[in-house]
Amino acid sequence: MTRDGMILGRSGRRRLYNGVFVTVCALATVVALVVLAAILISLFRNGIGAFGFRLFTEDTPPPGGAGGLRNAILGSVTLCAAAMILGIAVGMLAGTWLAEYSREGRYARTVRFINDVLLSAPSILIGLFVYIIAVRPLHGFSAFAGSLALALIAAPIVTRATEDVLRLQPRALREAGVGLGTPHWVIIRRILWRTAAGGIVTGALLAFARISGETAPLLFTALNNQFFSVNLLRPVANLPVTIFNFALSPYEDWQHLAWAGALLIALTVLAINLVVRILATRAKHP
Amino acid sequence: MSNVAAMHLPEVRAPLAEMSALPEQFIDAVPQEQVKVAVRDLNFYYGTQQALSGVSMGIPNKTVTAIVGPSGCGKSTLLRVMNRMYSLYPGQRAEGEVLLDGQNILDRKVNLPWLRSRVGMVFQQSTPFPMSIFDNVAFGVRLYETLRKADLSVRVEESLRRAALWEEVKDKLDRPALGLSGGQQQRLCVARSMAVRPEVLLLDEPASALDPISTAKLEDTIVSLKREVAIVIVTHNLQQAARVSDRTAFMFLGRLVEYGTTERMFNNPRTTRAADYVTGRFG
Amino acid sequence: MSEAYVSSPHPLFPHVHVRGQRVERAFRYACSAASLALLGATVGLCVMLVWGGWPSISTFGLGFFTSTVWNPVTDTYGGAGPIVGTLITSAVALALALPLAFCTAVFLVEFCPAILRRPIGIAVELLAGIPSIVYGMWGLFVFAPFFATYIEAPLMSWAPPGTVWERLFSGIPNGSGILTASIILAIMILPYIAATLRELFVSVPVRVREAAYGMGCTPLEVVWSVTLPFVRRSAVGAVMLGLGRALGETMAVTFVIGNSHRLPRGLFDSGATISSVIANEFAEATSPMHMSALLELGFALFLITFVVLALARALLGHGDAA
Repeated sequence: MTRDGMILGRSGRRRLYNGVFVTVCALATVVALVVLAAILISLFRNGIGAFGFRLFTEDTPPPGGAGGLRNAILGSVTLCAAAMILGIAVGMLAGTWLAEYSREGRYARTVRFINDVLLSAPSILIGLFVYIIAVRPLHGFSAFAGSLALALIAAPIVTRATEDVLRLQPRALREAGVGLGTPHWVIIRRILWRTAAGGIVTGALLAFARISGETAPLLFTALNNQFFSVNLLRPVANLPVTIFNFALSPYEDWQHLAWAGALLIALTVLAINLVVRILATRAKHP
Repeated sequence: MSNVAAMHLPEVRAPLAEMSALPEQFIDAVPQEQVKVAVRDLNFYYGTQQALSGVSMGIPNKTVTAIVGPSGCGKSTLLRVMNRMYSLYPGQRAEGEVLLDGQNILDRKVNLPWLRSRVGMVFQQSTPFPMSIFDNVAFGVRLYETLRKADLSVRVEESLRRAALWEEVKDKLDRPALGLSGGQQQRLCVARSMAVRPEVLLLDEPASALDPISTAKLEDTIVSLKREVAIVIVTHNLQQAARVSDRTAFMFLGRLVEYGTTERMFNNPRTTRAADYVTGRFG
Repeated sequence: MSEAYVSSPHPLFPHVHVRGQRVERAFRYACSAASLALLGATVGLCVMLVWGGWPSISTFGLGFFTSTVWNPVTDTYGGAGPIVGTLITSAVALALALPLAFCTAVFLVEFCPAILRRPIGIAVELLAGIPSIVYGMWGLFVFAPFFATYIEAPLMSWAPPGTVWERLFSGIPNGSGILTASIILAIMILPYIAATLRELFVSVPVRVREAAYGMGCTPLEVVWSVTLPFVRRSAVGAVMLGLGRALGETMAVTFVIGNSHRLPRGLFDSGATISSVIANEFAEATSPMHMSALLELGFALFLITFVVLALARALLGHGDAA
């Protein structure tokens, strides 16, 4: 057989394998997309019924009654806001320390590793930890404890984003600042944080998206509350735990509310992620 | 050069100032029987943007043809047409004909693996695959042929010798190719392409990332390889073109402006553009 | 250099830099304290789990990890059921999700028509961010009933008695159990793994892929012989991170696993994972020993995820050929 013949003969078989591979890959993508679409569709179908004005104006009802999720929504907003303030403060400072002050020693590597451990620690364990340090000693579940748990989830995300984006800033920027005799912390505050703002905001938004749906760490910290409350020292109603309780309840009204709540959270998270994407593409093509 | 069966006189829409030079600039065209790759009226588009206009040239067998010109003149694009590399990207398309031994490779029905086994390519930056040195060289061979182990080893050694790399790597064939130096990696890529026994070898600025010593070794390799294959080298280094090539094509703004033996192109260019470029007045 | 300059006072306004220096130092301490807080929180997390679980650790010893007795009435606890449940559900979830995620990532990078590439890619990335409770609810209300009727019941009646299939498909066909939990977990980590793998594949330098195509490779050969070896370590690291997510996940599992402390005997059998047990029982744990046993389970989960993360980081950290 000629060499060309051999090559062409082989290429038939190779093309066949390749065709099978392409088909399998396409099928896998279709399966993945169908399953994920099925989830979104049932989320909309089941959630849209109870989704309406009342969802935002009325508190959670007793079984069999009508109502909304106002207390849970406001409670979640309170929890997340408090957690974000704490998480951003700690995360930005820690990220700045890692990028600017740490001098790359063994200690810095440890801190970075530990930050990653915290970042991927199961969230329910963070709930347990906060229960031990903030619920047991204070004799009671509280919004404060819930915020602390969420902050512990948000902080490592912000830390990582801050460090990464500060490291991306050109050396020349720092050197230009030093050349003018600017103190280091003024360089950080006035120059580096400002040029890195986009990345830090992105990290904070991602952290917010993550904690807004977190349920497990709130189960034994913020607990839940049938009523409206923004007192940081009392248990507070919140969306994820309300969804959890209502979904597992035998009452249909509650289950509908749980679906509506899940839809609300999912939409919020999708919206935040979309904003992050838009910010990211803007940063790339100014 | 007297049997001027010029394979095709290109239509050059050159600026008026150069029109007078038209009849003469291709006088030393490649004789028909020596043509390995014939490019005819080639237009190339990146989406809506035209990158090559009406390029026609004959590339002779068993010689080194250099394509020179300022950046963005389309020289790499021309090279990437010759093994259909552009087919990877949906928005890119070519019009016209590129004949390899008389067969149009722009035809949709062309079997791409077969084409690429005949037309090898080496890139600007070295592209060793993440595997051992031996497996890198054997990679292409295994795609096309079933060789016994001993034969495969012979082929690998022979290819590495042709790329003048054998002496440097013969004791570490099972080491990762990524551990080689930049120049060695580039010659490894040449060996990898040569192992398939192609008929045409395309080199896209192969030495631009190398130091002078590695460049010299690579150039020696190129010159010695021309006994076996037709070589097309794109370079922005004029000295390099002068050192390694037998024929030189000068491109400008997507057009082939002048094409002839390297000796004449450097000593007696017919167009003012080419003259300015080879004397370093612009570029 | 900046230090030297900053510490020398301004010739005209000496007080300016004295104050500046003080703020500078305060700022540095604040940054350092924040990093210390993260360190403290993580170490504290670990220490508190051991400390809180100590009564259980000292009472049951190593027997805790082999016993499946979980009896709050007699205050005897063994964690083998949930620990095995955690490992099995995560392993099955990974086995289901990985091939799908890999093929999806390859499809998006190599074969997808250009028009669909961005939308599908974005969709996959967005889905990776959906909170797990959504997956859990869908599993409970939509998937479990479907699964019971159309998969579990037919499979159980099909399984020939006395074969391994009968054992594998034993349990109560009510839609919740080990396999259901695994499938929900798989669906949850699928977009995450697919998105990460896709990013890795895209990071392979274009010139290397072009070189492979230039040798005449088919897309399959490029993916298998060049792209995959190129990102091998990072890909394994990314998969480990997905596994870590599955191991620690609570809400997607708790709804559908059936909550039983026995060792699961078949794929349809009800079971428990560490996090589902903690989520179900911790708030209602009455005796100190019960709580302590739950904390010990938490510590076991911490260790498992820590090992997985450390491996993932070791693989990701050293990077690949790129």
